[in-house]
Amino acid sequence: MSEKKEKLKRKTDATIDAFKSQRLRWVVGRSQVKVEVEEAKYQQTVDSIMKDEVERHMIIGALKEKGPLTVEEIAQLTELQQSKIVQHIIALRKNGLISEVGEKNRQYLYQAI
Amino acid sequence: MVEEPFEKENKAEEKFEPLIVAYCCNWCAYAGADLAGTSRFEYPTNIRIIRVMCTGRIDPTLVLEALRMGADGVLVAGCHPGDCHYQKGNYMMEKRFEYIKKAVKTTGIEPERVRLEWISASEGGKFAALVREMTEQIKQLGPSPFRLVNNSK
Repeated sequence: MSEKKEKLKRKTDATIDAFKSQRLRWVVGRSQVKVEVEEAKYQQTVDSIMKDEVERHMIIGALKEKGPLTVEEIAQLTELQQSKIVQHIIALRKNGLISEVGEKNRQYLYQAI
Repeated sequence: MVEEPFEKENKAEEKFEPLIVAYCCNWCAYAGADLAGTSRFEYPTNIRIIRVMCTGRIDPTLVLEALRMGADGVLVAGCHPGDCHYQKGNYMMEKRFEYIKKAVKTTGIEPERVRLEWISASEGGKFAALVREMTEQIKQLGPSPFRLVNNSK
């Protein structure tokens, strides 16, 4: 399978997983949202949540597929920025979705739980 | 994830025949499709109808997974706004559909492959015309990238 197709498959799987996540389910799928913010700002928030969730599930997917990986290796697989990955890793660790499992080349190795 | 159903049907394809999955609400669109049948309106056989109780029940993952499994298009058909049997199911879907379209676009699939339409129980003709039009549109777009992904395994 070519790399392009592999990428498409990985991204779609991450999107499907993202839509299954609690965080996205809370904001998507309501006809009227009773929050005290203007519509444009709400849309912006939902968009950023959607982007974050897809990226996070891409990271989890990469970890599940290829086993323990460092941030650098995750960046190669997912084509995301390393700084962004670190931010996501902090959030994912806090939610108990990934954990550290030792070191490789003086970098932490992460694994999906 | 199961990947066989769509593959089997398309094994011996030479001329591209699209496969469209349609989620129809029980009270309007499904009755409309039924009427199209009983009124003997002709429409392409490329559509596979799945009856759901309300469009508000359709989770975004259902649409995305249909595409992921190799469907060339997904149609979501429900009652006209204000006519929902459950008061506001179709409004929920309308809102949700914006996000589905966005998600489909960001994944790299053409957003035209997913459509949301309102069909009432008396619009059999409209249903047949819609299926004809959508089949033509998908034929022009070509096969879904996932059909190729699944077949190359």
